[in-house]
Amino acid sequence: MSDEKKSCSVSSAGEPVSERSTTPMWIIVTTLILFFIGGIYFDRHSGWFDAKVYAPYSSAETLEAYQPKSGEAALLARGKKNYEAVCGTCHGPDGLGKPGQAPPLAGSEWVTAKGFNRLAHIPLMGLAGSISVAGKDWNMNMAAMGAALPDEDLAAVLSYIRSSWGNKASSVAGDDIKQIRSKMPAGAQPVTHDMLMQMPE
Amino acid sequence: MKTGIAIFVAAFVALGASWCGFVLAPALQLGGAKQTVILQTTDNWPLQRTGDATLGLQVYRAYGCAACHTEQVRQTGVASEVNLTGLGNRKAEDFSAFAKSLFVLPELAGVTNAFAASLNGWNGELPKTLFTTTDVELASALAERLKAVGVKCETRLVATGSDIARGWGSRQSVAVDYLYDQPVQLGSMRAGPDLANIGVRVPDANLHLNHLYAPKSVTPNSTMPSFKFLFEVRKIGAAPSADALNLPKEFAAAPGFEIVPKPEAKQLAAYLLSLKANVPLYEAPFTPVK
Repeated sequence: MSDEKKSCSVSSAGEPVSERSTTPMWIIVTTLILFFIGGIYFDRHSGWFDAKVYAPYSSAETLEAYQPKSGEAALLARGKKNYEAVCGTCHGPDGLGKPGQAPPLAGSEWVTAKGFNRLAHIPLMGLAGSISVAGKDWNMNMAAMGAALPDEDLAAVLSYIRSSWGNKASSVAGDDIKQIRSKMPAGAQPVTHDMLMQMPE
Repeated sequence: MKTGIAIFVAAFVALGASWCGFVLAPALQLGGAKQTVILQTTDNWPLQRTGDATLGLQVYRAYGCAACHTEQVRQTGVASEVNLTGLGNRKAEDFSAFAKSLFVLPELAGVTNAFAASLNGWNGELPKTLFTTTDVELASALAERLKAVGVKCETRLVATGSDIARGWGSRQSVAVDYLYDQPVQLGSMRAGPDLANIGVRVPDANLHLNHLYAPKSVTPNSTMPSFKFLFEVRKIGAAPSADALNLPKEFAAAPGFEIVPKPEAKQLAAYLLSLKANVPLYEAPFTPVK
């Protein structure tokens, strides 16, 4: 071996010899980019090897979204839709409220009260004057945003806010709202804190 | 050979990697499959085959049916279909006019053409498929809007794809469908139609037996070979057998003779009747037709 090498290098001094060289940077970069694109593709299409996820569903979430909705789930989905359309602008899609605009619903004792009678009157009649929510005083007016909603939709909204963002209270049925509506005090005056406190819970 | 160990390790890693990909990963993913529940019911799925149908799987396997028939329905998409099921006290023309007045809505831009085409020349026949869209939310929002004028509307989740369009199934086949098949007869070539739902499409055992004896007696253009050896042609005894095939004249046996299926043929027919995958599952949801 060594003799051969020697004779080789001696006899052909000008010949090219193989040397070590570093891998060109562009190959490394291209490979990394390909890995990155592959990773994104895998993340979007694989369903992460979930045994229940088959194409054309790309993830457990998309599959879940296509499940038929019935009962509680349908009620909450309907509530979420109406909440985001009617209430979410001020109270926020996360129910945290907005300073100077609307008090939070998440963790509000008015929302999570055992009964929903007082709570239901607020969107039905509007609210005026000072009210304490979760230990903070709020003094602003709310129009009767829920008065125009059908009973079922308002019930769905109340059910949704009573069971979202950490709230855990019972849901509300359309018939309950119907009843509350029929017993509503006459006149379109918004309720106040004192009026609410006089109502049964 | 001083690189022997290196070659061995390289070969081991190469084979091991493919074993992991083809055997281990699928086993980890689907090996724990167990009986599940049909969507929105408490019924179990799938059910064990019983009696002749169990034996029929072995007949199906022995005669190589899987060489020409698959047992898997493919699906390429999922869509929401908006159906008009009742007009209430409305007239079809009024409804069409109302529906067309909705076409200006920006969210309807994608379905306007299909919707308009479906209303063209419609004579008020119900139920009526108005349009199909992949946007499930849009479909239900629009169904609500249509309901507001007093008509009955419903949305159905439907599977889409060429197999579904051929009427071979209502949804794609999923792993759990094959839970009790041993061995699974997936098949890979379709010289004949897919059989995953043949028990739903052809629920008549006699038709299956006729088809096995003389395929052209059921499907004139069939290229399927005849499985005559699964039948016995015999002289009619004291009384004709209750099992005797009732074939069209040109395929029937000579006068005084009858064609009777052997046990294997009956088992195969029972197996074909047991091939059903027409219920919605969590992994393959759709709205079943009531």
